[in-house]
Amino acid sequence: MSASVEPAPAPYTRQEMMAIAAGREIHDGELAIFGVGLSMLAGYFAQAHHAPNVRAMTEGGVYGSTPLGGLPWGIECNRISANAVSFTSALDALGCMVASGRCDVGLIGAAQVDKFGNVNTTGIWGHDMGDTYTPPKTRLTGAGGANDIASGAKRFVIMVGHEKKRFVNKVDYISSPGYLEGGQARERYGFVGGGPSAIVTTLGILRPHPHTREFELSGWFAYTSVEEVRAHTGWDLKLAAHAQQLAEPSVSELSALRRVDQTGMLRKATAQ
Amino acid sequence: MATHKLITLPEAVSRFTRDGMQYASGAGLPVGADAIAFGRELLRQARSNLHGIFHCNSQQLNLLAATGAVTRAECGFTGLEGFGFANGLRRAVESGQLALEDYSNLSMALRLLAGALNLPFMPATVNMGSDIAQRSAFAPQGYPASDKIPGITDPFSGRTLGALSPLKPDLAAIHVTLADVQGNAIMLGTEWSRFELSRAAQKVVLIADHIVDTGCMRQFPNLVRIPGIIVEAVVWWPYAAWPQASPGVHDIDETHMKLMNQWLGSEEGTARYLEQFVHRYRTLDEYLDMIGPDVIEKISHGPTSFLLDPYRPWIQPRSVVEALPSESPAPRSAA
Repeated sequence: MSASVEPAPAPYTRQEMMAIAAGREIHDGELAIFGVGLSMLAGYFAQAHHAPNVRAMTEGGVYGSTPLGGLPWGIECNRISANAVSFTSALDALGCMVASGRCDVGLIGAAQVDKFGNVNTTGIWGHDMGDTYTPPKTRLTGAGGANDIASGAKRFVIMVGHEKKRFVNKVDYISSPGYLEGGQARERYGFVGGGPSAIVTTLGILRPHPHTREFELSGWFAYTSVEEVRAHTGWDLKLAAHAQQLAEPSVSELSALRRVDQTGMLRKATAQ
Repeated sequence: MATHKLITLPEAVSRFTRDGMQYASGAGLPVGADAIAFGRELLRQARSNLHGIFHCNSQQLNLLAATGAVTRAECGFTGLEGFGFANGLRRAVESGQLALEDYSNLSMALRLLAGALNLPFMPATVNMGSDIAQRSAFAPQGYPASDKIPGITDPFSGRTLGALSPLKPDLAAIHVTLADVQGNAIMLGTEWSRFELSRAAQKVVLIADHIVDTGCMRQFPNLVRIPGIIVEAVVWWPYAAWPQASPGVHDIDETHMKLMNQWLGSEEGTARYLEQFVHRYRTLDEYLDMIGPDVIEKISHGPTSFLLDPYRPWIQPRSVVEALPSESPAPRSAA
């Protein structure tokens, strides 16, 4: 990481650290799909910093554009439509580009995530539903395109604030599939995509064990500790082999992120 | 023979909608160009018990759910993206007033494509293994749900896939940027799923920001993704997508997006919203006054305005549109 040779950065927020760490997961030249909000900031940060040739698209089929005038309100809004080279459709972006198996990496968010990387963005029930579907106590946004990215992208990265209520042993509802019950469970369904490669949080990065597929702590940020991360995780979080403290944002990373985050959304964010 | 399909918004709603119908919105979703004015008119004409087919939620579904006009809905995404959760829809789902059947953004598009092609189902490699396939709000008994996205076997490879049911809504009210009086249409910005929807729906009504001379379509025929031969009627209603955005025409009205979503979060707020922003106007001028001239000025010069430049020579001024005779051809089918 370049951080080791650059001077210590200016103060940064935990949200900024999460966006930078997620952006580091995106490599130059990849075909990538970003959702709205944090994941779009992380993706366009990667493009502005170390992955200038990333081939980015949104799930509405907006190609070749970069956000203008701040974080887009949506994946189709004017801030992402002012310098596109192609407008197509959801069928094209999520189907021909993602379900086809062509897409290298997707970034998605989560309200709840469990130890096998299953994502819930549909609702909070607070209890096991049993055999009969009932409406959730708290309705969330639904799966959107994240289910399609989780099913079809070669790998995907989950971004989520690290809070105990979000890091649960078992999600209330699987909106977007991770490794389901772990091990080889994904293979029962013939998914085109490979599953989640990382959970990037406000405290660190979790990665799946190669065999059990249980997510383990792979790295933590400079302002936290293994103990703090474990205290904010709802399952008995194991330490991955070679787990280590991760590099702080470099000066160039932070300035690239702040160019993308023109309206300062990540700086307004409070802790967590 | 040049058919002429221009009708008013109230007439479109009274002629093509009915209680209990399967009603689809065609839009650049979730916070893009959706004909929210069509939803307001549904409420003005007291339509009820609607089954909404919304590829994604928008402020239109948020409003129709908050007021109870939609009692069943099928969606891929039900938030308002940067504006957060859709409070009206959320309230309706949590109270049980709205049965919301969850899909994903690709599976909704695939279901519309299946409807468009008149296929019995569409094989899918998404939604399987998740609770989208295993939980059903429309058929709540039994886990895993057996009839929502049943597994099928690929006859060639033996692999298991999901079978998605086709969608053929009774009516699609589709927002377009430009339409001529025959119903040929150009959309700026992402098409989202308006191509598939226009072929899947039993009937299509277009709501256009601008009426253009047919010469525009002859200049850019590759861009006319909805041809007039599948369109019943055309409505000219500028700022129909307000407070959402219509690329090339206007930006999002951030203040009203937030106010609307906040008000729809409670019964009292929803009643206030109906009074002030649904029942308050009768004419287009009153609708535009309700948005406010200062807001219209502010949102009308956004970063995508240049997208409209190639088409401007064909845009009919209001005086010409309003002087056009009311629609006259024999209807292609009974309403």
